[in-house]
Amino acid sequence: MDGSWFSSTFGKKLIQYVLVLAVALSINFALPRLAPGDPLEFFFGESTINELTPEQRQRALHELGLDRSVWEQYADFMTGVFHFDLGSSIKYGKPVTEVLADRLPWTVLLVAPSLIISAVIGIVIGAYAAWNRGKRRDLFFLSAMLTVESIPGFWIGMLLIAIFSVNLGWLPSFGAVPLAFTGGTAEYVGEIITHMILPVITITLSTVGGNFLLTRSSMLETLGQDYVYMAESKGASKRSLIFNHALRNALLPVYTHITMSLGILVSGAVVVESVFSYPGIGRLLYESVIARDYPMMQGVFLIITLGVIAANLLADVTYPLFDPRSRSRAWSREVSSSKQIGEETA
Amino acid sequence: MFTRKSFGLMLTYLLLLSMFVLGCQSNQSQPAPSQDQAQGAQGTAAEPAAKTVSELKIGLPSDAGPINIYTGNIDYLTELVFDKLFSPSPYVDKPEPWLAESAKQLDDVTWVVKIRDGVKWHDGTPFTAEDVKFTYEYYRDGPANRHTHHVSEVPHIEKIELDDPSTVRFTCAYACPSLERITFADLPILPKHIWEKVENPRKFTDLPVGTGPYKLVEYKADQYYKFEANKDYFKGTPLVDTLVMPVIKDPTAIFNALRSGEIDISARPLPPELEASFTNAPNMKVAETSPLSIIELKLNYDKAPFNTPEFRNAMSLAVDRQTILDTVMLGKGRAGLKGYPHPDSPWTNPNLSTPYDAEKAKSVMDGLKFVDANNDGVREMPDGKPLAFSLKVPSTEPSWIRAAEMLKDQYAKVGVKVTVEVLDSGTMATVGQTRDFDLVISNIGAHGVADPDQFVMSHRSSYLWNKTIPYPEMDALQKQWMAETSIDKRKEIGFAMQELFNKQPTSVALFYPEEKFAYRSDRYDQWVESKGYGVINKYSLLPDGAKKAKAEQ
Repeated sequence: MDGSWFSSTFGKKLIQYVLVLAVALSINFALPRLAPGDPLEFFFGESTINELTPEQRQRALHELGLDRSVWEQYADFMTGVFHFDLGSSIKYGKPVTEVLADRLPWTVLLVAPSLIISAVIGIVIGAYAAWNRGKRRDLFFLSAMLTVESIPGFWIGMLLIAIFSVNLGWLPSFGAVPLAFTGGTAEYVGEIITHMILPVITITLSTVGGNFLLTRSSMLETLGQDYVYMAESKGASKRSLIFNHALRNALLPVYTHITMSLGILVSGAVVVESVFSYPGIGRLLYESVIARDYPMMQGVFLIITLGVIAANLLADVTYPLFDPRSRSRAWSREVSSSKQIGEETA
Repeated sequence: MFTRKSFGLMLTYLLLLSMFVLGCQSNQSQPAPSQDQAQGAQGTAAEPAAKTVSELKIGLPSDAGPINIYTGNIDYLTELVFDKLFSPSPYVDKPEPWLAESAKQLDDVTWVVKIRDGVKWHDGTPFTAEDVKFTYEYYRDGPANRHTHHVSEVPHIEKIELDDPSTVRFTCAYACPSLERITFADLPILPKHIWEKVENPRKFTDLPVGTGPYKLVEYKADQYYKFEANKDYFKGTPLVDTLVMPVIKDPTAIFNALRSGEIDISARPLPPELEASFTNAPNMKVAETSPLSIIELKLNYDKAPFNTPEFRNAMSLAVDRQTILDTVMLGKGRAGLKGYPHPDSPWTNPNLSTPYDAEKAKSVMDGLKFVDANNDGVREMPDGKPLAFSLKVPSTEPSWIRAAEMLKDQYAKVGVKVTVEVLDSGTMATVGQTRDFDLVISNIGAHGVADPDQFVMSHRSSYLWNKTIPYPEMDALQKQWMAETSIDKRKEIGFAMQELFNKQPTSVALFYPEEKFAYRSDRYDQWVESKGYGVINKYSLLPDGAKKAKAEQ
């Protein structure tokens, strides 16, 4: 990889993203503080907080580190970000990074399988429906997907709980782990998976419609292209026609959509995590906003910002791999030189 | 593309979907119970025979941090871990000695308390009078918490000394006849050996050490609490060995968990619309309690025209509380016709009355020359300003939002324009501090509306009034109240203060909610109410002796 390529393409992008990150961090710092309210209510409750004398109030703010000027807090936050020190959560009384490290795996565990399953189902059924355009099966899938797409996620969650937890008693309705568990590791993992099933189905159902509709419409456009007729006339099989010829081109917008949605991998699913009392990032964000826990909110926003920026970066960087038309000259030169180097090394 | 056949298919599909959804709903209802079951389910759930249980799961609607008083507080959880000198609370006629063996008033300002011998903290350290002295001084002089004013202002305990290793002497700055019945029954005692080393209690996250019937052994923020019984508890070994309390904030989710058997009782009170389905379910009972709380409409006395007593009276007369209760709460609970504080508190004047009388409200406003001069349906003040106010209400309470909409209509009938503003709970929290409101709907709990010292304090602190604003009649009564040395006479002065308050209220009681707790009676059926704490409290989990002691109260 030579330096000129780095500075011309990747480097420019990187600078762009660093700027976006700096602006986003400043907004993340400012927004919670612009909203009315402060964390004192969380500690005292409504009737007690009104009984505090101005001195007691000032003292409590000092104890929480909130009596310093906004600029001091801002400087602390910005320097802290580069040292991976995000301060201490007001509500949880622990370092923000510790709370995030505790919650992030749960969110990834929930959202990653949901996004994969949703993408696979959406793409496969979308391609199938497009191929069968206008037939009953297309209509069935279209109306089914439109229905799930239009149902709010929390309602799907509540419905699943009512059926599988309350009526059938097959699956747990809340939490990520069994409470007061005393069994072995294998059983514990089993329990974690059991607790994941309903939330994963909920997130999958609430995102699959988008993937389906996008794939279907993109496929319909591609299927009308001359090269598909050409392939068909050359005797390509139905399967090869759909998956090798049409879908590969049709997937480009779907790919962008999916990569961009990777951002929610870390932001969590606030509503679904609330319905299932799942201890992920989404619920943490909600709790922090309610308690006006500024350091915690900043930490969660930071994670979300990084997630979204990383997803964009990924889409930006990898898109040319799938679509040669979007490759810049420099990119093509770089790829060909990398290939050359690879071949020489081999 | 869409032929008639296709539409037929789609219709069939939609029909199937709706049948599926309806099917799910109807499956939730249970067969009607026998008469016996129904009667049993409506009691307050006291059972004579004590049965021990190894584990109970209690669903909590919110998280209160690691129960160390300074990082969030839920009274009934604090009570499981900590004890007070007297119990159960200031909300009963006569609390019984608990960590105290006895309390004696020596003169108008002096009390001595003999503490119980042989009690140990959860870590094995003996409980001593030093702990009591430390706690009261810490509450008074340390970082403020909800107990602070009970030591620093109403009443004001000036000196706390040890007469001997088991006797504490309290000396007040002015007469304190209610120390035993109010203050001693309200302040949880902290272990000195732990708390004297705590640098910043607001950042203290260690698990608490108390003397109470349960030890908190595990806490996962926003996930669950796990308590183990304190086998050496001085009031007897608790009946349940382990209490696991998952935090389930979503109201639908917590009741689904109860139906599915994942929890045994919900600490979130049952909403009226779910009551029948739980009362009729097998192995379920519903315990009814008086939560000693008020859903109130607060009037900002700082602002004109709410600083005019007659106008506040008119604002109270214009509220049809019964209609609001019938509509919003489906008639469950009681309309706020007996004003503020809570009518079930032993400290509340039983003769209080705050009736609905729209005509009188109009004539009071006419008398103040608040008339509709421009015929737009809204009265104006003599300076021409219309009687148009905003009513703030939290977005998390749908029933209050509905009540606010009804208030808007009721006030429109007497010529007052009200605009409802729905705000998030974080913003609502600051409304009281910044006093940036005209009208606001909120909830005030037992500590605020069943404790007579708090009623006085609320008039000094800013909750109901601010001591820096002159209020000659109330100030005179307060002065009299503080000088009074007899608790009975103080109670009478308290009654007069309440009468005066309700004539020109700064808080209009809309309704007194009732609380019903649904629980699995096959798992545990010995829940008893502790006034103001619901059924999830230490008495429900203690053996017969303690229960009887409480029953004798």
